[in-house]
Amino acid sequence: MRASNVVSALIACAAGLTAVASVHAQAPQGHGIAGFWSMAPGPTPPRRAATPAEAELIGKFRDGAVLLADAGATEFPPGDYGGLNVRANLREAAKSYDPEKQTDVSLTCRPPGVIYSMQGPFPIEIFEGRDLIVIKLEYFDLVRIIFMNETKHPENWPHSQTGHSIGRWEGDTLVVDTASLMPGTLFNNGVDYTDNVHLLERFRLADANTLVVTQQFEDSGSFEGTAARIMSFRRGDDHVYPYDCDPTYGLAIDSRQGPKRE
Amino acid sequence: MILRSAFFGVLILGAGAAFAHHSAPVFYKVDERITVSGTVTEFRFSNPHAILKFDVVAANGQKQQWTAETTSPSILRRRGWSQESFEPGDKVKLEGMPSQDGSYLMRITRAFREDGTEIGVPAGTNN
Repeated sequence: MRASNVVSALIACAAGLTAVASVHAQAPQGHGIAGFWSMAPGPTPPRRAATPAEAELIGKFRDGAVLLADAGATEFPPGDYGGLNVRANLREAAKSYDPEKQTDVSLTCRPPGVIYSMQGPFPIEIFEGRDLIVIKLEYFDLVRIIFMNETKHPENWPHSQTGHSIGRWEGDTLVVDTASLMPGTLFNNGVDYTDNVHLLERFRLADANTLVVTQQFEDSGSFEGTAARIMSFRRGDDHVYPYDCDPTYGLAIDSRQGPKRE
Repeated sequence: MILRSAFFGVLILGAGAAFAHHSAPVFYKVDERITVSGTVTEFRFSNPHAILKFDVVAANGQKQQWTAETTSPSILRRRGWSQESFEPGDKVKLEGMPSQDGSYLMRITRAFREDGTEIGVPAGTNN
C-alpha cells in the first residue's frame, strides 16, 4: 500500500470513530425537552390560575410549600418575601442592603445563582444527551450540567452559582436535584440563601411547545419551610445569545450625579 | 433640528414589571411613564443594559444631558433592536420610567424615530 493510501485510510478510520463517539455522546433520549425555550409572557401562578399541567406539578410540592409570586419579570420590593418566613437576623440585615451597589464595576457582571436565574425572564436552551443534560441560560451565560448517570452528590464538590446537579426521569418528568450552591439572592432584595440550600426542580412538557418548570428549595439557615416557584416556557426556533456582560454599565448611568428634573 | 422642548407625560399604569438583578425599582418609578424627545449623542448596546445618551433642549432653552437605559440587549435583539438602532444626531422620542431621584435618567419602554416609526416592537409582541 502506498504511503498516501495508508494516511487516507487512517484519516477515514479516525473520522469514523469520531462520528461514532459523537453519535453516542449526543444521542437523545427522546423526552422532547431539548431545544430553545423562552419564558411565556404574563403572570405565573399564584398570580393567575394554574393550567392543568401546572396544577399537576404544583401538586408535587412538599406540603406547606410557599408558592412565590415573583417568577418571571416581577420582583418583590424591599421587605417583601412573598409570605416566606425569612430568619429575623436576615430580615434585619436586609434593611441596610444597598441595591445601588449592584451597578458597581466589581458586581455588575457577577451572575446570580440558578435559583434566581432560572425564574428570570431570559431564554434557556436544553441539550439532552445520554448521560448529561445541559441547560444553557442566556442570563449571564450560565451553563448547567445535569448528571443523569449519577445518583448522589459528591462530597466536597466546590460551591458555585450552578452547584452540582443530578437528574432522573420520573415518567415524562425530569427531576433535577441540586446542591453545592454558593450563597445567592432569593428575591434580589437583600436576603441570601446559605450554601446549604437544596434545590429540587421538575421539567415537564405540557404540550410539544410548552415546558413547565418548577423549583422547590429549602434552606433552614435563611427561611423556614419550603419555597417554590413555577414557570412556563414556550418553544422557539432559536439559540440563546451570548450575554457577554459589560462591567462598566454602572458607570454609564452617571447622570444620577447631575441636575434634577424641575 | 433640535427639538425645543422636553415633554413629560406621566401616566399611572398597573403593577409594573421589573427586570432582574440590576433592579429597576431601585432607580425608576416603575409604575409611571414619561415621554422625552431629544438628540442622540451616544449609544452602547451591551449587556446587562443598553445605554442611550441624548440631549434635550428645554422650553427655557437650557440643554439637558439625559441618559436612558433599556432592558437587556439580548431581549431587545429579539424585538428588532441592534447596535445600529441609534446613531449620534438621531432625533428620538422615548417613553419610559422616570428616575426615582428626579435626575435626567429614564428606563426606556418604547422608542420612536422623528417620523414616528417605532424602533423594534414592544415587549410581549414577539416574545
